[in-house]
Amino acid sequence: MAEHTGGGGGGGRESIDKAREEFFSEAQELVDGFGRDLLAIDELAKSGRNDPELVNDVFRAVHTLKGLSGLFGATLMTGLSHELEDVLDDLRLGRLDMTTGVVDLLFRSAELYGQILAAERGDRSMPEAEMKALLLALGQVTQRSGAGGASPVAQYELDPGLLGVLTEYEEHRLRTNIQAGVSLFRLHVTFALSTIDTALDELKAKARPLGEIITYLPTGSVGEGDVIDLEILMASHADGTVLQEALGAPHIRIEEVKRRIGMENPAMSLNSPPTMAKDFPLPVVWGEQGHSSHSSTPPPQAATGREQIIRTPPPPAIDKRDMSLRSVSQTVRVDIRKLDNLMNIVGELAIVRTAIARLSERAGHRPGAKDFSSELHRLHRSFERHLATMQSGILEVRMVPLGQAFDKLARIVRQISREHEKEVHLVITGAETEIDKLIVEELSDPLMHMIRNAIDHGIETRDERKNVGKPAVGTIALNAFQKGNQVVIEVEDDGRGMDPQRLIQTAVRRGLLTAEQANEITPREVLSLVFIPGFSTKEEANEVSGRGVGMDVVKTNIAKLGGVVDISSEVGIGTKMTVTLPITLAIISVLSVEIGGRAFAIPLASVEEAIVFNERDVRVIENREVMTQRGQTLPLCRLSRLFEIDTPEASVERASDGRKKFVVIASVGSRRLGFVVERLVGQQDIVIKALGKSLANVRGFAGATELGDQRVGLVLDVAALLEEVLVGDKDRVVIDVAGRTRESPEGRGDGRARTASR
Amino acid sequence: MRKVLVVDDSASTRALVRAILEDASFSEAVGGCDVIEATSGFDAMRLLPRGPYDLIITDINMADINGLELIKFVRGSEHHKKTPLVIISTLAAKNDVGRGLALGANSYLTKPFTPEELCATCTKLFDGAA
Amino acid sequence: MDGLVRRRAESRAAVRRAEDLGLRVEYLGFMLAGEKYGVRIALVAEILKPPPLTEVPRAPRYVKGIVSVRGRLVTVIDLRRRFRLKESPADTRTRILLVDRDDEQIGLWVDEVLQVYRLADSEIEPPQVLGGDQPAYVLGIGRPENELLLLLDLRAVLES
Repeated sequence: MAEHTGGGGGGGRESIDKAREEFFSEAQELVDGFGRDLLAIDELAKSGRNDPELVNDVFRAVHTLKGLSGLFGATLMTGLSHELEDVLDDLRLGRLDMTTGVVDLLFRSAELYGQILAAERGDRSMPEAEMKALLLALGQVTQRSGAGGASPVAQYELDPGLLGVLTEYEEHRLRTNIQAGVSLFRLHVTFALSTIDTALDELKAKARPLGEIITYLPTGSVGEGDVIDLEILMASHADGTVLQEALGAPHIRIEEVKRRIGMENPAMSLNSPPTMAKDFPLPVVWGEQGHSSHSSTPPPQAATGREQIIRTPPPPAIDKRDMSLRSVSQTVRVDIRKLDNLMNIVGELAIVRTAIARLSERAGHRPGAKDFSSELHRLHRSFERHLATMQSGILEVRMVPLGQAFDKLARIVRQISREHEKEVHLVITGAETEIDKLIVEELSDPLMHMIRNAIDHGIETRDERKNVGKPAVGTIALNAFQKGNQVVIEVEDDGRGMDPQRLIQTAVRRGLLTAEQANEITPREVLSLVFIPGFSTKEEANEVSGRGVGMDVVKTNIAKLGGVVDISSEVGIGTKMTVTLPITLAIISVLSVEIGGRAFAIPLASVEEAIVFNERDVRVIENREVMTQRGQTLPLCRLSRLFEIDTPEASVERASDGRKKFVVIASVGSRRLGFVVERLVGQQDIVIKALGKSLANVRGFAGATELGDQRVGLVLDVAALLEEVLVGDKDRVVIDVAGRTRESPEGRGDGRARTASR
Repeated sequence: MRKVLVVDDSASTRALVRAILEDASFSEAVGGCDVIEATSGFDAMRLLPRGPYDLIITDINMADINGLELIKFVRGSEHHKKTPLVIISTLAAKNDVGRGLALGANSYLTKPFTPEELCATCTKLFDGAA
Repeated sequence: MDGLVRRRAESRAAVRRAEDLGLRVEYLGFMLAGEKYGVRIALVAEILKPPPLTEVPRAPRYVKGIVSVRGRLVTVIDLRRRFRLKESPADTRTRILLVDRDDEQIGLWVDEVLQVYRLADSEIEPPQVLGGDQPAYVLGIGRPENELLLLLDLRAVLES
């Protein structure tokens, strides 16, 4: 926060912080919108078209950002907005052409806004260098265009009565349209104040293809039944009949504003007495009276008179005071932490629910309490049902379409492929697939790196592609879809694919693999070499995929979200990376188990099944315990050993209380592993909570949860454990990669073989 | 208790004005301050009948009806024609301020403003109205 | 409204008076392996009787485990382990001090909570008086009449 907002004492801090939070989300929305508009502008520019409304939208966004950043002391953002405003102004006024160079600068600006925002939040350092470079480039653009000549606006005079209520920007748009010879129209509309926002949105949508709305002028005061008369000043190339037909509704009356001096001369004067309501000459009126003089195309609805105008706004049933308070906007912005809080409450209620169930069961055993018990049971059922609805309701609120992350990626693809002089076509499917908001936020970076990688290492240059008979333009497909409780995102390119020999050579050269291991490596394991820190197939980290971030970081970041990355690739055909993620982080169904008397929870989304454990089924292959299950080899992991929990008889197949142990078969992506546990407790829905910062480096746990009676159970991070046990950490990779599939000389194990210890 | 209507399509600007005016140091000095937020010109028109207000603070550049048109509407209404009115505008748009004052606004602030400036302006107008 | 305004003004004045005196700082005293320690009471949010504690496999040694405090997870640090003192089982006097660190709360597992000591600057000696190299988390030695209190720098204690 800037120094000037630090004033005042007492309880102001909190509300200032709240204001600042608002600033972040508002600025982020504006920046996101900026990016989306740019994509549309770029699309149009490719075919040599231009939409001034879009440029205006961008201008408005930048203008607002400038004001906001000034208020909140984000000086870098103010500076950037200031410079951008000039460029956009030139673009709006046609003093500057929308060349690819300019579009590039705008894309860079959108990117920089994002970086500045992140820096303001403290997530990174201020991008000072990029800022300097960009300001310089923007400055050059405007300077060059300065030669374009001053606008001849000064020669037109507008009526002071009209000017009085136009903002500078609106006046500017009015002049621009007049200069361009566009006709002006006055639209008389009557709306109910309570529904005016939606009604206007509809009108705007219809008007947009036909021209530009300059301003809205309320006339008179709010009349009976909260009805308001409005005059809309609109510039349009279309003629009145067309407008009337397009805008349609009978309660809109359209008048053309006549040009005073010569119809063919675009120069016009609006010099006229005080208010515009009276003083625009009205030569032709379409709509209410006008239709008769244009009998060729009489709009059928237009035959009604003014009485109808007053009657059209409908909702009479609502109390007047009520209407004046009603906000027409149907959406609210909610801090996700508030939803987390609600979710916590649901979690607590679930514990209450369990207590009620127990109570009803206990009452059932008492002779005199049968009725009471069944009553309680019914109550419990109803409670359970409503709680489930509430839970899924809150979850639904957290869900956002993946498209939010994809928009950004489309921008990046465009930028990178340009930098790289490779043409790439991005095909997106499943952008509507929904996933937890928090996951979307964390997904942008990993996906961006995967795409950078695909362009850099995957897609060939134009010439190379032509030589092998591929289309010159490369394709990257971004596919998303839901699969059970998980969301799958594929990044697939039609590039050169990954050459196993080259991957192995690189790994050997970097000392990540010995020559001997290289001989024994399986094709699947070869591909996962790219996830080892320090691995890169290109000699030099280049501009695109370089930047010090490798696939190992991508994998770590995805793992933090409880997901996994798999790769498949075919030489000459292309590469596909598949990210599998849980749908939500907030609430999950788990299987509670016990290990050494301690409670742990395994997310059900990654549990295939649980089977009874028989010690004699265990084989040891290359120091790893495995068993055969339905003809498949299933690696095993004894959690008591992995977590070094003392269990008196850890190696026998019965737990200390004499009951059988179980194997919980977990899988994520294509990896499977059997966890040996002592007891299955049951299945329940839990609210998962993150472990504190002091435990941030503890691997293998996704968080913890309250299991009732104030007891806390740790939730296994199955993806991380599978990773750790099956692949091992980086010094184990080599050993594991070497010969996992060969049988050890000892043959069957005695249960004492080591699992994943180093 | 002073009742202030803040009209701005920017949620953060509204929140900031609220934070400053409802902060104890200012609020106590003027005998309590109740900030009502309007998200657009039309929203303001819907909220006006809930008055009277001790002060209206409005942005100029808003989608749909702009701040100037709102000022004209307020000054033209029976119940609010004497309500003190402050414009918030960006530095660049000097003409907007001039037009607003010509339409009957009492004072103006340019973004970025400091809490002290906002408080001083409001105090002055509260006193003038009292 | 007037009453509220006056009350607030009065409490502000009281705070200011206290700041003018400004010389005494309050410390919460507690026992650890037979020694008395103190932390600034302003940093202690709450004192709890230990709820059921869940050990976390693979956690750093000084982490005793996690507990749930009104639905929130709190990591509990065993100060005996942190200071490499002899461990002993919990008893009825065992308490957890909830202290704020950045944006999370941390629990400190202590043997017993004693009392609040108000120490003037003159009653605090630099750690060097104990001779040798004192660990970074010892802020100073408090000497409230005939007693000896090792004053802890929580930030240094919580940094592993």
